[in-house]
Order: sequence, then C-alpha cells, then structure tokens
Amino acid sequence: MRGAVLPISMVPGNSVVHKIAPLPKLLWAVGVLIISFSTRNPAILGAMIVLGLFLASISNIWSSFLKVMGILFPIMVIAIFLQSIAPAFPQPWTPIAQLGPFTIYQEGIYSGLTLFERTFSMTIFAMVFIMTTHPSDLFVSLEKIGMPYVINFILTVTLQLIPILQREFATVLSAQKSRGMKGTGFGAVLPSMVPVFVGAIERVQQMSISLESRAFGSTGKKTSYRNVVMGVKDYVIMVVGLLASAVTLYWILVDKSLDWSRTMHFSPTLSVILVITAALIFVTFIVISVSKIIKT
Amino acid sequence: MEEVLITCDNLSHVYSGGVVAVKEVNLKIRRGELIGIIGQNGSGKTTLVKHFNGLLKPTYGKVIIKGEETTNKRVQELSRSVGYVFQNPNHQLFAKTVTAELEFGPRNLGLSEEEVHERVEKAIEFFNLDTYRDQHPYRISFPLRKLVGMASIYTMRPDVFILDEPTTGQDNITTRIVYQLIRRLRDEGSTVICVAHDMILLAEVVERMIVMRDSVLIADTDPKTVFSDRKLMSSTHLYPPQITELSHRLKDKNFINTYALSIDEMQKVTDQQLQVKRSK
Amino acid sequence: MMNTKEPIIEFRDVTFYYPISETPALQNINLKIYEGEYVAILGLNGAGKTTLQLCLNGVIPNMIMGELTGDVFIKGLNTRDYPTRELAKIVGMVFDNPEFQLTQTSVAEEVALGLENLGTSPHDMEEIIGEVLQTVGLSGLKDRSPFELSGGQQQRLAIASALAMHPEIFVMDEPTSNVDPVGKEEIIAVAAKLNQEKHMTVILAEHEVEVVAQYADHVIVIDKGKIILDGTPQQVFNQIDVLAKCGLRTPQVTEFFNQINQSKKLGIKELPIKIDEAESLMLNQFEKK
Ligand SMILES: Nc1ncnc2c1ncn2[C@@H]1O[C@H](COP(=O)(O)OP(=O)(O)OP(=O)(O)O)[C@@H](O)[C@H]1O
Ligand SMILES: Nc1ncnc2c1ncn2[C@@H]1O[C@H](COP(=O)(O)OP(=O)(O)OP(=O)(O)O)[C@@H](O)[C@H]1O
Ligand SMILES: [Mg+2]
Ligand SMILES: [Mg+2]
Repeated sequence: MRGAVLPISMVPGNSVVHKIAPLPKLLWAVGVLIISFSTRNPAILGAMIVLGLFLASISNIWSSFLKVMGILFPIMVIAIFLQSIAPAFPQPWTPIAQLGPFTIYQEGIYSGLTLFERTFSMTIFAMVFIMTTHPSDLFVSLEKIGMPYVINFILTVTLQLIPILQREFATVLSAQKSRGMKGTGFGAVLPSMVPVFVGAIERVQQMSISLESRAFGSTGKKTSYRNVVMGVKDYVIMVVGLLASAVTLYWILVDKSLDWSRTMHFSPTLSVILVITAALIFVTFIVISVSKIIKT
Repeated sequence: MEEVLITCDNLSHVYSGGVVAVKEVNLKIRRGELIGIIGQNGSGKTTLVKHFNGLLKPTYGKVIIKGEETTNKRVQELSRSVGYVFQNPNHQLFAKTVTAELEFGPRNLGLSEEEVHERVEKAIEFFNLDTYRDQHPYRISFPLRKLVGMASIYTMRPDVFILDEPTTGQDNITTRIVYQLIRRLRDEGSTVICVAHDMILLAEVVERMIVMRDSVLIADTDPKTVFSDRKLMSSTHLYPPQITELSHRLKDKNFINTYALSIDEMQKVTDQQLQVKRSK
Repeated sequence: MMNTKEPIIEFRDVTFYYPISETPALQNINLKIYEGEYVAILGLNGAGKTTLQLCLNGVIPNMIMGELTGDVFIKGLNTRDYPTRELAKIVGMVFDNPEFQLTQTSVAEEVALGLENLGTSPHDMEEIIGEVLQTVGLSGLKDRSPFELSGGQQQRLAIASALAMHPEIFVMDEPTSNVDPVGKEEIIAVAAKLNQEKHMTVILAEHEVEVVAQYADHVIVIDKGKIILDGTPQQVFNQIDVLAKCGLRTPQVTEFFNQINQSKKLGIKELPIKIDEAESLMLNQFEKK
C-alpha cells in the first residue's frame, strides 16, 4: 500500500548536499530549470543530468530517489516514442525508418530525446533539492529574504500536500478495506480518490487554522529552531550557481550553432531500437503498476 | 466453552522505525465475550487490535481469526468477521453523506437493497442520527463522527466488534448510547472488544480486562480484580471511577468493608453498613 | 466574580450561524471572564462549546465562514480587527482533533513552531521544548514523526505545542479525551498550576465533570447555543435538576450524595462536588449517628 505512493519528501541525512543552505540549492534548481527550457542542445542537457546524478549520489538519497524515478522515468521516456512519430517541431520532417504503421522522423528522435533530457534534468535537480532540504528551513530562508507571507504559506501547504495526500490515501484505503471494499484494481481504487481529495482539502484548511493559531505568519521577529545560517561556503555556491546559469544562458542565446537538430544524425537501426525500448519501458511500467494496485 | 474466535500466538509488532509496539502477546478471545483493553498511552492497545482485522500483520508470531492465519488474508475478507471502529473517526469516514457511509459496508456484504436499507434505518434510529442523515460526515462534529463510525460497522453485524476508545468526546447521553450498543451487541451474540480509558465503561459494562503496559500484556482478569488492585492501576496510568475511589478511601478507614464500582453499588454498600452499625 | 478590573475576555451579544445553517450555533452570548480564572465549559455534544472557543482566537469570524453578530473582545481587542495569527500571541489553542494540529516532521519541531513565530531565541527554545515535553510525558520521543504517535501521544503533543508559547489565555477543547487518566489529571493539574502561579487564564471544554469540579473556579453551561448556567462549580453542580434537564451529569460523588440525601433525608444543603469533601462528609454524617 505504501509502495504505491510517491515518497516525495525530505530524506533525513547528513551529506554534503544536505548541509548546503536551502537558498543556494533552490537557486541551482531554478537555474537548471531555466536553462532546460532555453536550450535543446543534447550535450548541455546531458551535462546537467550527469551533474544532477552526481549530486544525487553524494546525498545518500538513492533509495527514495530511485523509487520516484522508477515512476517518473517511464513516463518521461514515452516522450521519445511519441515525439519520434509526431514531432512537436517545425516541418519539414525527415523520415529515417518505418516501424509498422509508424514513420520515425529524424527531427522526432531529436525532439524526443531533448524533451526527455529536459524533463529528466529538471526532475533530478528538483528531487535532490526537495529530498535534501528540510521544509521549515526553506520557509525560514524565504521569509528572511522577504518572501511575502501569502506566498510562503502557499509554498508550505504545497510541499506538505504530497505527504498529506499520501496519508489520506492510505487512510481511506484502510477504512474502505475494513468495511469489505468490493472488487480490486483500478475500478475499486479510483472511487476512493474522491474522498482522498475532499479529505485533503479539509486537512489543508485545518492546517492553516492550526498554523495561524500558533502565530504562523504574524508580524514581528522570527527565529528558527533548525538554525539556518548561510556560511561562506553557501555564498560561494550561490555565486557560482548564479554565474554558471547566467553564462550558460548567455551562451545558449548567442551561439546559434548549439541547435543540432539538423546536424545530428541518427542511424535507422539506432532509432528503431530507441523507440522500441522507450515504448517497452513504458508498457512494462503500466503493467507493473496496475498489478501492484490490484494487489493492494 | 464458546468457540474461540481470535487467537494471538506470541504476537509481536515492530513499526518500520523500529518501535516495538506489541511484544510476545498470547491471547484467546471467545464468542460472546465483552472485553476491555486498558493501558497507558502508547502501551500498544491500538496496535494490538489492528491485528484482529488484518490492518496490521504480525512481525513475529501469529494471529488466527476463526481458524485461519491473518498473514495471508486480506482486510476485506476479514472485515466480514471482524469490524474495527477506528480511534480517530476521520480515519474511518469517506462517503458523501452519513447514509452513504452506513450503506457502504452492508452493500459490500452483498445484501439485498431492502436488507441494506433496513439495517441503515435501524442504525440511524439507534444512534439518533436522523437529523444528520444527508450531511457530509466532515461537516458534523468530531464526537458525532465517532458515532457515525460505530454505526457504519454496526450495519455490517460482524462476529467481533472492536471499538477503539468508543466514548471519546461523547457526552453523558451519547455515552449511554454507546454503553447500550455494547450490551446490545453482546446480547445479539457478538464479541465486543473495547479499548478504553473510560473508567465508568470499564467498571460498569466490561466483563474481562486485558491490561497492557509498555507493549506487554501484563494482566488478563475481571474488572473487579483490576480496580481493587491499586498498584496495578496506577502502574498502568489508570484511576478508578470517582465512586470507587471513595469506596477505597472509606474502606481504608474501615468505614465500609467492600469496594463499589458504581453509584448503585455504593448505595447498597453503605446501606448494609448502616444496618450493621445500627444492629450493633 | 466581583471584579472591578476589565475582563480579559468579553462576549457582547454574540450570535453565530454556520453557513447554510438555520439555527444559530451560539445565541445571544454575554460573558465576562477575568484574568486568572479557570473556566470550564460544559454542554452536550453540539451545544456550542467548540464554536464558543473558536471565537476566542478569532478563527471565528476570520477563518471560518459564517455570520457573526455582536463582538468578542480579547484584552480589549475586537477579534474582528485582528487576524488569528496576531491573537495567537495572547491565546493558545488546543483543538479537539489532535491529528489536525500536527504540521511538522518531528515532535520537537512541532513544539518549536509556535516559539519560532514568537521569536524565541534558539537557546531558550531548546529549554522550553524539553520542559513542555517533560510536562506532557513525551520526553523520549523528540525526534519521532508526529504521525507515528499513538492517539493519546498526539493529543499530548498538541497540548505541549500550545503550552510552549506561554499563552496568557489557554483554551483547550476536550484536550485529554484520548489521554490516559493519570495523564489527564497531570495535564489539567499543570494548567491549574500555571493558573495559580502565573495567572494564566484557562478555558477548558470538558465532559468529565469530576475533573471540572476538582480544578475549575468558574463553570459555564451551554445548551443549544445559549448559556444556561454561569457560576462557581459549587453553585452549578448543585443545580442537579437543571443539569439533568439538559442531559448533563454531575460528579459521581455529588450524584451519590443527592441520592442518599433524598432516600435518607439527610438534609444536606450543599452537596459535595470533590472527593475529599465527599469523604469527610461521609465520615461526619454517619459517625454522628
Ligand atoms: N505508525 C507508527 N509508526 C511508528 N510507531 C508507532 C506508530 N503508531 C504508533 N506507534 C508507537 O507504537 C506504540 C504503541 O502505539 P499504540 O497506538 O498501539 O498505543 P495505544 O496503546 O493505542 O495508545 P493510546 O492510548 O495513546 O491510543 C507507541 O509507542 C507509539 O508511539
Ligand atoms: N463546520 C460546521 N458547519 C456547520 N455547522 C457546524 C459546524 N461545526 C459545528 N456546527 C454545528 O454547530 C453546533 C455547535 O457545535 P459545536 O461543535 O460548537 O458543539 P460542541 O458543544 O463543541 O459539541 P461537541 O461536544 O460535540 O464537541 C452544532 O449544532 C453543530 O452541528
Ligand atoms: Mg490507541
Ligand atoms: Mg466540541
């Protein structure tokens, strides 16, 4: 039952990445996000993925990270398949292979791969950020730099929404099972999603009452139990992140040769293998998750 | 002796964080018993009873319900024999209206629509829920939700009812309804297991008491014995009902010669005592 | 309650309707509570105890929709004009559902939340957290997730989190319904101690009348949204008929004495409400004969 739910929340730990203050990490995640959206150069995106995986590996969050990726990866991979046969790319398209009823296009492969790389790099950084940052540290940090109460509050609630939904889902499912819930599989689980959301909305309202009743968001000086201090190291990381993002961004905007969509060629065999693999991963994923849900 | 419905064989439960919540419990529960489970906060009561309908599975040892081990059984199947009313009603309710909530269980049992309807109406009447039948369970007060939770299991008529702190937040009137429910269930032949801190419930209603302390079952006996053992009581964070405490104090002063568990008993005890004194 | 001071809490003609509701949850409430009082609110389910308490830190009318007429003043501040987050600096709240109050990832952080918002220094914070967790008996569980606690432990944590803020007014809505009897007594007694020593005003909604009789010095009885009795515990619990009419019980010893008073014609005018009183009265009455 628990395994079916995404464990997206902080993974307690003591790694180098955990010890970096929230703001520099947030800045890096945002930088990657912006760059990912600005370029379709496979090498730059690839480099960010490698860096992200490196950070994930030194933060000791592998097991949770892989669990989440196990679910997100197949979904992202399907982009390759869909794009190859129907590129979201200006015509003309160059056909390179035929796979049953589908024509695979050169631009499609390129577009699919880069789209996949994009989402992948953003997700990795977002995961590393969320999994190594304590939510309250983040709020304290944001509050310090003058983030308005409302935005901070919305962030608090959003980040807590996932654990809330997780708990609510587990709760509703146990409640229904305890009263002999009929049937199995999606058919049975799907209706219980309604109370999960109704319940979650209720929880969020209650949570805001509970937080305000303890002066959350009130005027006056705030302190932090989990002492968040920005050390020299953190400022350095922040400045490096800022510079790296700015330089890369400038390069992307100026250097037109970074667009490899017409210059990078894929061999037909490679393309077919790629597309089939993507489709297979996706299908396997669907089969596994359906059977998992049916088992609960 | 009546048929054994639940057997715990060396049951231990360890939560994922490593908390040992129940340790080596051995227990047999028979048809028609009226059992109270007591113990201080965190002593493992809820964890123990969640094994009886399969919501939790033993980490070590076995739980056997009507002859079958729970390990391989699904909660859905067990729910026909064992009904569990959650400690927190928010963990129990999910439907759009109170009526829908009460229909859910019996419908899953495959009863006919008339039968479902009849059971729901009976429950609504018994629990006095008529004014709330079309309300959303989230829109009614916390204690009322608890009653709806009980009603939703009552419509299923399982062999074993587990009530986790049934009188929490209830007022004098609804508390009486709960006591009545428990007695009625017993009269209808069900087994009732109450996890409770409500001392009046334990003193006046329950017939067998299971005492937990620090994850271990430390006593399994009748209420009278438990309430007269003040050391056992305080070691499990219990106080006797006020009237029992009064009788304790008066007995210590040799004013009366026995304990009383209820006001009526106390009256009898004092009456006898006065007669004895007068006749002297 | 002869008091020349300004009341710390005042309700003036307060009536409140929840949305779509036709009947008021509170009706014409006029109430004055003075600093340092230990007030208990009694009433059946649905009488309006929770609703009244939600008015005390402005959750009504600021965070829960509905129609409020009349005014509630907390230390002279009209609750309409101040958001709950500001009133929270004066009023500490323990809600009836323990789980809804838990928002953090560990027990210590849950307690710290309010302190952070008050700007307590990290050093003091550590001390206060240790202290209140000790008070509610959760010392060993500092790093546990609040969602991995038993029902009673969650409730103890909710109390600790509010208590840590050292509120001037401490409002508790059936705070110990899941707490074991010894813990219940301890917690209510701690509130009584703070009430005595620090003049913390306590407003407690509670069904267990024995506890109320033991600790409160001002009892308010609500029935269907109206205040029907308002006085000392002695006065209120001696109105057995009025209480019975709206379905409430009295402490067991009071009930017992009421019964023998009638059956044996003892002619007791003031029924005992605490166990000590009952014990000595019992010994006196019957030793005499
Ligand atoms: N989900 C969980 N994960 C880890 N530990 C838990 C979890 N739920 C409960 N515990 C711990 O297990 C122990 C037993 O908890 P349980 O809920 O069974 O107690 P209980 O006797 O029902 O207490 P209460 O009277 O407070 O309801 C406690 O120490 C509690 O902190
Ligand atoms: N959110 C809500 N929406 C609509 N009506 C409500 C809401 N909360 C409470 N009520 C109604 O307001 C009235 C007073 O309820 P309140 O919860 O204040 O009672 P209470 O005395 O605290 O009872 P309890 O002992 O059950 O906690 C009841 O009739 C109740 O049904
Ligand atoms: Mg419990
Ligand atoms: Mg209430």
